[in-house]
Amino acid sequence: MQEQVEKYLSKLIRHGLVQGPDDAALYGLDDELYTNRHTVAPEVRALFDLLNINSLIIARPEPLHWSIMGDLIRDDPSLICPCDCESLTFIHDIPVLRTFDVEAAARALSGRKGLIIADTGIITTGTVSLEQAFISLSSICFATFVKYFADVLNGLYGFAATPKPGTARLDAARRILAPAAPAAFYNPLSRETPGTEAEIIQAMDAAGKAIVSAHLVDSFFGNISCRKGDLIYISQTGSSLDELPGCIDCIPIDGSSTCDLTSSSELLAHLKTYEITDDSAILHGHPRFSVIMSMFGEPLGFTETRHIEDIPVVAGEVGAGRHGLMHTLPAAMAGHHAAVVYGHGTFASCSGSFHGAFERLSSIEHQCFDAYRSALEKAGVS
Amino acid sequence: MQKKRGDFTLSALSIDLSTRDAVRSTIDPEAGKTFLGGRGIGTWLLSSRPMVDALSEDAPLILSTGPLTGSRIPASSRMMISAFSPLTGTIGSCSVGGSLAIQMKRAGFDLIIITGRSRLRLILEIDNARVRFVDEDMPVDLPLSSVFDAYRSFRGSVAAVGPAAFSDCTYASIMVDGSFACGRGGLGSVMASKNLRAIAIRGSEHTVMACDPDGEETARADIIRLFDASPAIMGRSGISLCGTAALVDLMAARRMMPTANFRRTYFEDYRAFSAGRIREEQGPRQHACHGCPIACKKKAHSEIPEYETLSHFGALNENADLAAIIEANRLCNEAGMDTVTAAASIACLAEIRGLRYTGTTLVDKVREIAGARGDGELLRLGSAVLARELGAPEKSMSVKSLELPAYDPRGVYGMALAYGTSTRGACHLRAYPIAHEILRKPVATDRFSFSGKARIIKIAEDLNAVIDSIGGCKFAFLGATLEEYAKGLAAVTGLAYDTHDLLRLGDHIYTLERYINTLRGFRRTDDLLPERFFTEPGTHGPGIEVRPIDKTAFEATLDRYYKIRGCNEDGTVTAERLRELNPCRNR
Ligand code: SF4
Repeated sequence: MQEQVEKYLSKLIRHGLVQGPDDAALYGLDDELYTNRHTVAPEVRALFDLLNINSLIIARPEPLHWSIMGDLIRDDPSLICPCDCESLTFIHDIPVLRTFDVEAAARALSGRKGLIIADTGIITTGTVSLEQAFISLSSICFATFVKYFADVLNGLYGFAATPKPGTARLDAARRILAPAAPAAFYNPLSRETPGTEAEIIQAMDAAGKAIVSAHLVDSFFGNISCRKGDLIYISQTGSSLDELPGCIDCIPIDGSSTCDLTSSSELLAHLKTYEITDDSAILHGHPRFSVIMSMFGEPLGFTETRHIEDIPVVAGEVGAGRHGLMHTLPAAMAGHHAAVVYGHGTFASCSGSFHGAFERLSSIEHQCFDAYRSALEKAGVS
Repeated sequence: MQKKRGDFTLSALSIDLSTRDAVRSTIDPEAGKTFLGGRGIGTWLLSSRPMVDALSEDAPLILSTGPLTGSRIPASSRMMISAFSPLTGTIGSCSVGGSLAIQMKRAGFDLIIITGRSRLRLILEIDNARVRFVDEDMPVDLPLSSVFDAYRSFRGSVAAVGPAAFSDCTYASIMVDGSFACGRGGLGSVMASKNLRAIAIRGSEHTVMACDPDGEETARADIIRLFDASPAIMGRSGISLCGTAALVDLMAARRMMPTANFRRTYFEDYRAFSAGRIREEQGPRQHACHGCPIACKKKAHSEIPEYETLSHFGALNENADLAAIIEANRLCNEAGMDTVTAAASIACLAEIRGLRYTGTTLVDKVREIAGARGDGELLRLGSAVLARELGAPEKSMSVKSLELPAYDPRGVYGMALAYGTSTRGACHLRAYPIAHEILRKPVATDRFSFSGKARIIKIAEDLNAVIDSIGGCKFAFLGATLEEYAKGLAAVTGLAYDTHDLLRLGDHIYTLERYINTLRGFRRTDDLLPERFFTEPGTHGPGIEVRPIDKTAFEATLDRYYKIRGCNEDGTVTAERLRELNPCRNR
């Protein structure tokens, strides 16, 4: 389990979720406790005693996220309700405590996967592996970031019954907007169309790493696929896009094998997109300002479409349900090779290599960031 | 029936078949709060007679619903049947679908406890509060479909045992509503030993009203959203569309499909019984347990077998004849016997004799078991007894005499441990590590590693004890988590248990089961796997090496598991440990 501790500590730092190794304490319990700390605080032992878990992370998020959380906690000191789809589906809401009280923390963690403590940071748990705790921590950072900026804009414009932000909130938002900007544009992906299976896997691996390092997705979310004749190569459900080799399913498009049981929950959206376009590569990420701008306005109905400039925004939930995005996304992709799903993320496609899809995904994010800034300016916040 | 907030008084019907008495009573609310219902309450009731012989007059047969049964929480109306297993000698609770649980709840009962032995064979008819003991004179070898046909106009739910149970088959099942099997461990033999052919229940006078309907609706919506987001449930090849047959291709691809009595882990002709082939040849339709939107059950002109049955009547017996598999399954259902043990016993016999039973010869073997003739005389006793009788005990691929289902432990190390530690013998459902080791839910774990698995399996056993005690279904947890079900439970019952309160109750229930097994003489050696898995490799595949399990690593993991579970080094549980865990003591 020690390898898990090291792996997720380095991932927390690499993904910019914490600043350095001193900002995160990771614990994995089998019959013994494994950690990156020299000593184990009695509070940690108490949490393991009170909860039937095998993994725990206590982390102070890097300053930008931490200041966002601090600001949100001022609004509601007990609970943060995310507004993006993925967080609503998987983490529901985020309990908040003022100080680290073991009993109170255990109670909160008994109902939810993670918790924010105002004087400490984020605590998340898992019952299977540290990966769960890592994912929950990453989700909390994403959910609070998106909620923060979405609420500021919708509040300013009076949309979605969002309260108008006060001066302090606007000042803070203005101050952190520049550091929150997407990474400078750089497309590292090859323009060569992958031919063999080995080349396809290599191309998917490179694309996954590229969108994670460009912060266009938070590691375990998003998905990637590549079509080759009658086959589709697609990332497995819950796979980490920066660790794809070994986590890619190769499945026949016609459904003649059920090995896609482990494939991404968006498989059907990918398949339908391939069915109605000539594209052969799809990237799906959760670029933050694309998600935020998709929610700018009143909530989007399932059959409605709107645009961020020329980019279509459609509604749809994760997966294959009656209101799944597989029913709305492919048609929007057909015309534009890209679309943003309301409160969820961006899909971009192209033919040939992943180069074009990455280009679209990244430029849409920059476009959405600019659109966000303009919308703030238009509302008199500059 | 609207209970008061947090009221956990369970309504019980106690039936003594010897005296034909039916007494209504309530169960101590503290027991309700501690054991919830379903498997928990069944285990608690069995713990009052831990040494009873499975087939004796005194042995109880307990049918128990869960606190979510009849609520709007999806996939939560499964019935638990508990008794001691005549096959394994362990505790033998088994979850079963259909509509038995909801009919019982609507009749006003949370559980039914049956003891005694009727002098004449009978059928128990429960029509709301009215209980009738109906003598019956149907031939003992009457196929079960005829018993269900006889009750078609009853408009309730029927649980019945078939010819296998009356001919001393040690793995006789109890069939519910014609399609749903309470299969493992031979609980049908317990029912038959009481001369009880069937239980027919019709209920209409009670409904379940949630204490907090809004909370119930929120939990319901959250759970449905998670079902939709789960590829294993609602995906193109999810169990909703394909049934558990969806696992055939995946298990073959992962080289963990037990073949030729576990001598190999890959069957070249697996496509003969894959979900795709079944769709092409059978065109099955969906059906479901009461209140379940997943509807993983599949039916064509006959019932489509579950993955375990397809694989064991297929690969385990090297049989690529789908029609023969479906027929073998139908015969098992008609005779009322566990398909997994039946198929594994035939594969064991085949290996001992150096033969293969495929196609019609396979079907003939099933007929022989059902009719207790020919090889059926031996086969009906299960592979452990059969192999011992034939002088080759090592050929029985079983733990505590329960045959391994269709997940080869050399390809899933968490499962290897879970087969050993399961309280009812080699069962994949007590911890269900397939969820994370293969289906990547809630996250993926390394299937070829024991790292961290001791605690993972312990927690999963606690979790599944809770699922079985609230009326839930394991498959629902390929999408949703206990977090959402805990909210649902609180909304329905008003009892504000959170996830970890529930896991604590699960720990207590599981440890109680282990304690009962301790009293019944089970020790560490009973938690080991057949030697084959430690000495013979499986079948390798592209990029997959299926090595024998390192026995030292397995035993070290077992040691860690015992330490985490609070057992002694020999795997036993003390009364003191049980007292420590008792939530009543801690409340
Ligand atoms: S998922 Fe299948 S087994 Fe589970 S409750 Fe639903 S129909 Fe029954």
